[in-house]
Amino acid sequence: MIGLTMLLALAACLLVPMPGGAAVVHEYTSPYHHIRVIDASGLRTLYFDDAQESIISLADPLKGHFEYTEYFHMGWLWNTQMTSVLMIGLGGGSAQRSFEHYYPNIKVESVEIDPAVLQIARSFFFFKESERQKVHVADGRMYLRRSSARYDMIILDAYVQGRYGSSLPQHLATKEFFELASERMSTNGVLAYNVIGTVSGMRASLVGSLYRTLKSVFPQVYMFPAKSSLNVVMIASKTGVPAQPTALRQRAAQLVQAGRAPLPGFMQRLEVLQTAPPPNAYRSTLLTDDYAPVEGLAAGWQ
Amino acid sequence: MRSVIAAVLVFLGGFIIMVLEIVGARFLARDFGSSFHVWVSQIGVVLIALALGYYLGGALADRWRRLSVMGFLLIPAGVLVFLIPQASGGMIDWIITRHPEGAAIPIFWQKCDPVLGSALVFLLPCVALASLSPYMIRMATQSLAMVGRSSGSIIAASTVGSIAGVFVSGFILIDHFGLKSIFQITGGLTVLLGILCIGLDRKLAVAYER
Repeated sequence: MIGLTMLLALAACLLVPMPGGAAVVHEYTSPYHHIRVIDASGLRTLYFDDAQESIISLADPLKGHFEYTEYFHMGWLWNTQMTSVLMIGLGGGSAQRSFEHYYPNIKVESVEIDPAVLQIARSFFFFKESERQKVHVADGRMYLRRSSARYDMIILDAYVQGRYGSSLPQHLATKEFFELASERMSTNGVLAYNVIGTVSGMRASLVGSLYRTLKSVFPQVYMFPAKSSLNVVMIASKTGVPAQPTALRQRAAQLVQAGRAPLPGFMQRLEVLQTAPPPNAYRSTLLTDDYAPVEGLAAGWQ
Repeated sequence: MRSVIAAVLVFLGGFIIMVLEIVGARFLARDFGSSFHVWVSQIGVVLIALALGYYLGGALADRWRRLSVMGFLLIPAGVLVFLIPQASGGMIDWIITRHPEGAAIPIFWQKCDPVLGSALVFLLPCVALASLSPYMIRMATQSLAMVGRSSGSIIAASTVGSIAGVFVSGFILIDHFGLKSIFQITGGLTVLLGILCIGLDRKLAVAYER
């Protein structure tokens, strides 16, 4: 008991005090990122370098997360029969935990390149692996290429926003990659992609390029620009029929009524839906394995 | 004049090696991912090529002392570089698909597959390009008393070329050209370098024997 008390006291000393009552709970430098876990005013934030990757409420780990992660749930509107979801990029695992929590019929698999991130998600972000929650430590594209599984939805959130712009892994943003992802998805498969940027302001050229590139593979692409952050979640569907906003609202209402979409605020998330392409979409660069100037696009050089 | 020619040739050689290194890492990412191991592999393989090339170039220089020898090494190297986009797919496929599907790749091969891939694609051309520096030191040095200065300026010129190669490829080429055209331009430049070596053979040989 005394040992434990001393250990706790020691742990308390190790929490580096930061301005505003924030404390660095954990710090680790992996080959990929300088990772920090910081607690402040009841929220726990995962930082890669200077970028916030994930936030959870310490009181209720299903709350506090970034708004944009909720748009991943919109996948249901294009595929109402999902049982398997693959997420590329783990971070703190908030999206993973929420899919596991709200949809008991869904099996979640994640691919995370950095083993340290998995350790931290387990130790600090209430992430638990199980039959319905699996993680593969690998590069997302390599994993998909070698896998023969078929997923109903693939979610891409392997994106790092840093002080000097983003480091979007270019091999996960090309036409060839999206073709591979499409092959690994079931007939009504849906792909969700988190892009950091805006539709017509900051980094619009990157958003336009991703839209155009997704559209070159998938017949339908929709956008959900987040209200509280500079994220645009794109939803690409393998089905050819364009969805009308009214029809989508009806479908959402049905899902909520049937208790199949218990995420709080599921209906409201539809409000930001944009069915029209971004204004610059067809002037934007098509990203291919041969030519994917993602750094230049992000910096607005093009 | 002789040292100017030598400096220009090794500058180009150093430039091309670093374009291959930087753009090559990007090229490997589509097959091996953007993992840290890919960068480590690419840097390691280029350094292996430099070590082999320096040794080879030094040995050849003592044996031949003719600039055209470099040309016969660089022209095939340039052709190899030119063909990278078309020819390397099969080799890299083999590296990746030899692991049984469904199981995780053993950690040893996660690290060493990109080394293998990088070596298959980039080792030979980089060896040829690296051999240019020691070869030109021998070609440019007229007396033992001058060997310090001439080797110093050749190595410096080659390194300045490499510095230019890093920034030009990473900051400019990647944003404006496809990987295929970059490899083709670089391959063409290597062939041109080889032709220059053959064309300037007499000029440097005459000067040497005077």
